[in-house]
Formats: sequence, C-alpha cells, structure tokens
Amino acid sequence: MGQEYNIKGMTEKIQAIKEAATELKHISGGIQAVDRNVDRILASVKMLEINISDIANII
Amino acid sequence: MKTAEQYWNPILETLPREQLQKLQLRKFQNVLKWAYENSKFYHKLYSDAGIEPGDIRTFDDIRKVPKVEKSMLRGIQGREPYPYGDILCVPLEQVTEYHQTSGTTGQPVFQADTWQDWEWCAESWAYILYAQGYRNHDRVFLPFGYHTAIAFWQAHYASEKIGCEVISGGVLNTEARILKMQELRATAMMATPTYVLGMADVAKRKLGIDPAKDLQIKKITVAGEPGGSIPATKKRMEEAWGAKVYDHIGATEIGAWSFECTYQSGLHVNDALFIVEIEDPDTGELITEPGRKGKMVITAFDRIAQPCIRFDSKDIIGWSPDECECGRTFRLIKGGVLGRADDITKVKGVLLAPTSIEEVVRSIPELGDEYEVLVTKKGDIDNITLKVELIPGQESNIDLVKTKLVDQLSLKTNLGYNIEFHKYNTLPRYDVKSKRFKDLRHKE
Repeated sequence: MGQEYNIKGMTEKIQAIKEAATELKHISGGIQAVDRNVDRILASVKMLEINISDIANII
Repeated sequence: MKTAEQYWNPILETLPREQLQKLQLRKFQNVLKWAYENSKFYHKLYSDAGIEPGDIRTFDDIRKVPKVEKSMLRGIQGREPYPYGDILCVPLEQVTEYHQTSGTTGQPVFQADTWQDWEWCAESWAYILYAQGYRNHDRVFLPFGYHTAIAFWQAHYASEKIGCEVISGGVLNTEARILKMQELRATAMMATPTYVLGMADVAKRKLGIDPAKDLQIKKITVAGEPGGSIPATKKRMEEAWGAKVYDHIGATEIGAWSFECTYQSGLHVNDALFIVEIEDPDTGELITEPGRKGKMVITAFDRIAQPCIRFDSKDIIGWSPDECECGRTFRLIKGGVLGRADDITKVKGVLLAPTSIEEVVRSIPELGDEYEVLVTKKGDIDNITLKVELIPGQESNIDLVKTKLVDQLSLKTNLGYNIEFHKYNTLPRYDVKSKRFKDLRHKE
C-alpha cells in the first residue's frame, strides 16, 4: 500500500515544517507563548516523522 | 476489500514484513544509542556488559543487549534526578507528565514523559482505537477516575486525536456514570473487564437499565486484565452490553503495544512502534513458532525521557498460528497475556494459571461475574478454595453448578478445589484492577 502514497513529498514537507518551527523559536526573543507552542508543534512533527519520514528510505 | 480508510496509518500497518524488520532494526539502533549517550543507568548497564551501540548491526544482535527488569527500575527511583533516578535521558525541565504503575506486583514504578513522549503515547493508542472502529462521530465515555495510572489518560488523548468527543466520567459513581452515558447517548467506552461487567450488573439491579437495550454503547475497549481475551468473559461482556468488546494490552513503562482489531482474530503487536521478542522462560531461547508460550521482552522505539529497552515484562504470551483478514502485517498473539512468569504458580505440584479458573467460572451461566481464589497451606498440603456467587434465582441449581465447576476445573487445571458458594453481591467488587487470586501460602 506504501507505493500509493507520495512519501518523499510528505517527508520534504515535514522537514520544512520542522525547520520553520525551529527558526520561529530562534527569533522568538524568548517569548514563552511562542517557544512553548513551538515545542508542541515539534512534538507533533515528530509524530509525522514516526509515521512517514522514518520509512522514507526503506520503501 | 481493504481500503486505506480502515487504517490509522495504511503505510506502516501494511508494510511488508521484510521492510518492517528493517525499520525495527534501525529504530532499535537509534533508541539504544540515545539511551547509551543520555542515561547514566543505561550507559553503565551496557558498558558493564561490553556493549556499545555500534555493536548492534543485525536483527540477531539485538539479543546481545542486556535486559531491564522492573526490580532494576524500582532500585533506581528515589535517587537524583528525583524521583526518577539516573535512567532519565532528558533534563527534568523537559518532563511534563508523571505516572506510575498500578503496583500490582510490588512498589509502583515511576514513569517520566516529555510532551513529545505524551504525543507518542496518544499516537500509539490512536492506532488501537482506529483499528477498533473509533471515528470522529463517536462519543466516548471514560468511566474512570483519572489519577496517577496512565492508561485511560492515554485513551482520552488518543480519542481526541482521532476526533472523537470525549466525556470523562471521573468522580461520578457507577450509577451516575450509567445515567450520564444514557443521557448523552455515548457510543463507546473503555474500562477494565471487571468494571464492564460490574457496571452492567449495577445498571440492571439498581437502575432497571438493560445496557444492551437502553444504552447506545456499540464498542468497548478493555484493558488492565486478561478478561478481554478470555472467550467466556468476553461473551458475557458483549451480551451484557450488546456491544463489540475489543482487547488491548499496554504497560506504563512500555506503552500500548498490542490491540485487537474489528476482525477479533487475536491481538496485533504494533510492530512499527515496538519490537516484541518471546523467549523460553527457562532457557532464554527465542521463540518464533506459533503455539509455544514464552516470556515477552519488549522495546518501545520512540519514547525518549525514560526509554524501556529490552524490558523483561514477565508476561507470558504466544504467537498465533492464524492470520488476520484485516490486511495488517503486524503479527498476532493468541489469547492476550496468558499469565505472568511470576504469577503462574505451582499448587500441589501442578502449574496453575489464574486465567484458566476465570475461563471456567465465566463459562457457567448460573454463576455471577465475581469469584475469588485462595491458595493456603496446611502442613505440607496446598489447598485451593474457590469462592463463587450464584446469580439470584439459581439457588436450586447449586448441586448441578458445583458438579460443573469441579469437572471443568479438573479438566482445565488438573487440580481439586474446595468450592464455596456465597450470597450474591457479597464477594469484593473492583472498579479497576481486580485481585481475585490470593496466594496466602507464604504468609502463613
């Protein structure tokens, strides 16, 4: 079933979200309302990696 | 026909076995490296055994890695960083969740999780609930007082993740929970098998409500006890509620590693998030063939604060010879957790698994759901007393029921029992995990 999905494309987008979130934290100036919400975004991004990115070069 | 919509993740859940094994090896290598580099406990454990992460190159190499036991986790906790000890792989500031084991087998073990770990816990439960047919139109009732135990917290977060509407039955008593389920037309719920049966009993006796006819619960996920995989207990629950009952197995230190899907062919191991090994309890030999029971050793791949790597769970399980028609490539175990290595005890020289007694009691319709087993010793002789309750109106069948019990227990367990009949509703009732098997020999 894996071949039916654009795993490579999804992996690239997941990486882009991760980079954008990390960059946002870097420029937040330490605003907790930004940093803590970025941490939550990154935790969700990790779930996307577990579900998609981690198998990108196995399939 | 299998469609992507029936899986939480159609890619991982139908991944060919060879690719799943590649994924498992890589993830095992990653979590081993993470623990070695970030936990003093794991670093010492592996260094003492002469193991470095780079030594694990093949699937077979995994078995070279030292196992972790619950007693080791108990030994660490209470030390710095308090209260988890040096197993912790992240600074305390990153820990957002505290939970602990139920303490069924001794002092509770503390479990630290980061927010990412907590997302992962909900994710692993989402695989379970989605496979059991939970969808965003479900109204899920959790008849459970949330506290330091982890399971139903995870179920709550996973239900939300799927998009279900979640109702916490928290501090309500049993009657109030039943009435709230009725009022809100809840479609699904989760509880221990003991409490599922207990609630049905209370609904009928105290409220005049027949859950199968008067409520709209269509699926029930059970956990915490073996009942969901004991056919006689499952049948009782499904009949009492007019609902499908699905089993799941998890543990605080590990995560929710196994689940029954709507095909009810056994329990799938979530091979994408965990690696389960079954080994002979005496020789340590790896068991790969179906039908042979052994002790489970398990690793969760992606839990980072307090990883559990090659955890010797003491749970007795066995691979199933059957295949599930659901299309998942995740392996199946048969009969759920069949006992614990330290639970299956010798009585009168015979190995006894408490689940065998439950199977017999729950298969006799004249008996109530509750029972209790006491093992005592007089001189050198072991005695087993089985306490049961006849359901109201069945008192005249006491001799017939006693004969059935004696015959079936002898057949299933090769042992003789003193049978005691107690008045209905006088044996202890449990809301969460039951303690029906009491081995009092060492206390006498």
